Amino acid sequence: MQRLRMETAALLAMAVAATGTMASVGAVTAQADETVVAVSWREFQEERWALRDKPAIQAVLEKAGAQYIETDAAGSAEKQIADIEQLINQGADVILILAVDPSAVGPAVNNAINNGVPVIGYDQLIEDPRTFYITFDNVEVGRMQARAIQDVVPEGRYVFIKGNPADPNSDFLHGGQLEVLKVAMDAGKIVNVGEQYTDGWDPSVAQRNMDQILTDNDNNVDAVVASNDGTAGGVVAALASQGLAGEIPVSGQDADNAALNRVALGTQTVTVWKDARQLGAEAARVALQLAENPDLNAVEGSTMFSDGPNGANMVSILLEPTPITRDNLQLVVDAGWIAADELCAGVESGSVDACP
Amino acid sequence: MNDAAPDQARKAPREPDTRSTGGTPGGILGTFRDKGGALFRSTEIDARLFGLVVALGISWIAFDFASGIWGQGGKSIFGGSFLTPRNLWNLSVQTASIAVMATGMVLVIVSRNIDLSVGSLLGFLAMIMGITQKEILPAIIGFENEFTWLIALGVGIAVGAAIGAGHGFIIAYLGVPAFIVTLGGLLFWRGGAFVLAEGRTIAPLDSTFRKIGGGTDGSLGRLSVDLGLGSETLGWVLGIGVVLIFIGVVVHARRRRRGFGFVTRPLWAELLVVAIGVALVLGAIRVLNAYPWPIRVAERFAEARDIPIPEGGLILATGVAYPVLIMIGVAAVMTFLVRRREFGRYVFAIGGNPEAAELSGINVRWTVMKTFTLMGVLVAISAAITSGRLDAAVNSLGILNELFVIAAAVIGGTSLAGGIGTIPGAVLGALFMQTLQSGMVLIGFGTAQQNMVIGAVLVAAVGIDAAYRRRAAT
Repeated sequence: MQRLRMETAALLAMAVAATGTMASVGAVTAQADETVVAVSWREFQEERWALRDKPAIQAVLEKAGAQYIETDAAGSAEKQIADIEQLINQGADVILILAVDPSAVGPAVNNAINNGVPVIGYDQLIEDPRTFYITFDNVEVGRMQARAIQDVVPEGRYVFIKGNPADPNSDFLHGGQLEVLKVAMDAGKIVNVGEQYTDGWDPSVAQRNMDQILTDNDNNVDAVVASNDGTAGGVVAALASQGLAGEIPVSGQDADNAALNRVALGTQTVTVWKDARQLGAEAARVALQLAENPDLNAVEGSTMFSDGPNGANMVSILLEPTPITRDNLQLVVDAGWIAADELCAGVESGSVDACP
Repeated sequence: MNDAAPDQARKAPREPDTRSTGGTPGGILGTFRDKGGALFRSTEIDARLFGLVVALGISWIAFDFASGIWGQGGKSIFGGSFLTPRNLWNLSVQTASIAVMATGMVLVIVSRNIDLSVGSLLGFLAMIMGITQKEILPAIIGFENEFTWLIALGVGIAVGAAIGAGHGFIIAYLGVPAFIVTLGGLLFWRGGAFVLAEGRTIAPLDSTFRKIGGGTDGSLGRLSVDLGLGSETLGWVLGIGVVLIFIGVVVHARRRRRGFGFVTRPLWAELLVVAIGVALVLGAIRVLNAYPWPIRVAERFAEARDIPIPEGGLILATGVAYPVLIMIGVAAVMTFLVRRREFGRYVFAIGGNPEAAELSGINVRWTVMKTFTLMGVLVAISAAITSGRLDAAVNSLGILNELFVIAAAVIGGTSLAGGIGTIPGAVLGALFMQTLQSGMVLIGFGTAQQNMVIGAVLVAAVGIDAAYRRRAAT
């Protein structure tokens, strides 16, 4: 969600050129008898893949006695195609792909499938019905944000602080939000009194936009649907400057430490938690099954997904994210996602269950 | 923070004598051939800055009209919500961060360089200061120590200066073009901000540090109340101080000119300039004082202090925000550097003609390195303002700021060819950029439309400027 926004196409090209020259990892050669699960990562620079997803995948594989190999495309679509070829040559029985560019990875996917290696699109849709798709349901995230806010304020003047306009997820999220609120909006119970995208998901941009929307409405705002925790932070700062933090419900997503702390403090209503470790573990499970039996439809718990840009029928697993409010904060503490003292910093003890 | 008031009062932000700024001595002479032009000329007001102020005034009125029609409506004189004390107060605070950096960018551009790294560096330095105050200092001096903000700010400024000096060294002594060095910096420091905190958000910040970013607590109104004065007092003290210094400067300049036997402005022109300056300063103070504390903030304050709330609510003036004081202070110091110190003269000389500057004995490399060091310091100050205001350090802070800063400098009359530029122009340019951005949010324009308008305005501003220069040259 919070990937850096490259300033211009030129910069992007330069960055790709620079990182593309870095050597790839994963020179392990597999032994013939054990199952080999390969992952082609998009970009290890982004913290979460190495820190949360990879260990979860490895843990499941280790338990099953399967071998793990990987490559890092370092953000280059060309390199990823070469990476995947290399993984096939290393004897991968199944490949998880976090695509740099889902539409450019096609030749490599063909190559894998022609070699009898099943492919799983990991967190990023590769719209080819021969591949499996596993991700968190982003539209559902938007729905959860809207539901949590609507529970608190069923009628009133709503503000929408959307994500980066260049990120397709921003519109998935907003679509989910509107889906939930549509009936109430059509009935005139909920009024949209301000709506802005947030360039680069930058919280200070969200803060400025919220400042202006509050000025425009003379503080006559009842609820704010913000699309992630960064923008929610900006919104809460703007509300705080009017002494309104904690009085107007605000949504978010990502379960950032700062946002979880705000939920405990009561200045943010909800954050939607997508536990990357759950995604990793589930994907590893699917990979092991496909290595046994390459029939996608035989994967336990799979459903059909056809909301992609081309409407292709994909066998998929869409994991349900978890909305976190002050009532179920204990979940993130128990999961080891955040330390209790960080969650409860500045929180009056006993005001929420998770901070005794 | 608290001594920022006398600091900024040392020099008036506006001065009538704009002739010697930059390489435009007499640039406007000979432009106006009609009688009105001659009258205008005798006031010696910089015609280009004047044009910018007029454009600013027009856009303020237009936004106010437009926000009355397309926005939620308001109660200002033109029926909108733009020309309300609240919005103008917001605008002043929102401008501060970009304006502070723009004053440094003027020197960088004037010396024929560019700095593309300021936005990323802002994110990096905000992270440095956030980590210092939230993760390093608490282990040593505890949370919310009274010196926390000062140490964090000091560390940020020191690191900013070091990074700026590093950029400057590579550019000036190793001969790598500034465009490349700072383009590298743009990528490097954004990545660095991420690595420092592994993508985490550092929040909330120290409560004193937060005041650097403004808010009700970070304004002169609150300080006045805390000192047991009326909430408007310090604002007026500041305003009157600035006015007195301004008048002092004008009188001093007139005496000096007469002493050297130079032509002085006619008395009426002198008085006109003084009158306009005084009206602008006191008007600004009046407007910022007219923004009352938000109702809930005032209520909570009254509760905490056991003050009974009078009928009609507790009305306290918010007054000038600290980031605005910082901006004024920085602009004053930078103007002084540019116009009264060798360093400033050297920068303009280098921009005008690097070879001639070198031959005349100016240490060009050292001077260029100093401009980048100064830029690093100013970015650190802006980082403190932005993160203090957000009450969080986030690695995405400052994205695209380099473009806004460069645009502010350019709209303010800085020439990308080098040698020409003014500090007050850059501040006005920043104010203009911010006016467009926050004004368009008020009337409900989306990001895409905002970017289109800002892009068009940037090109138009430079186009008009180029046409003006051509005319002035003939």
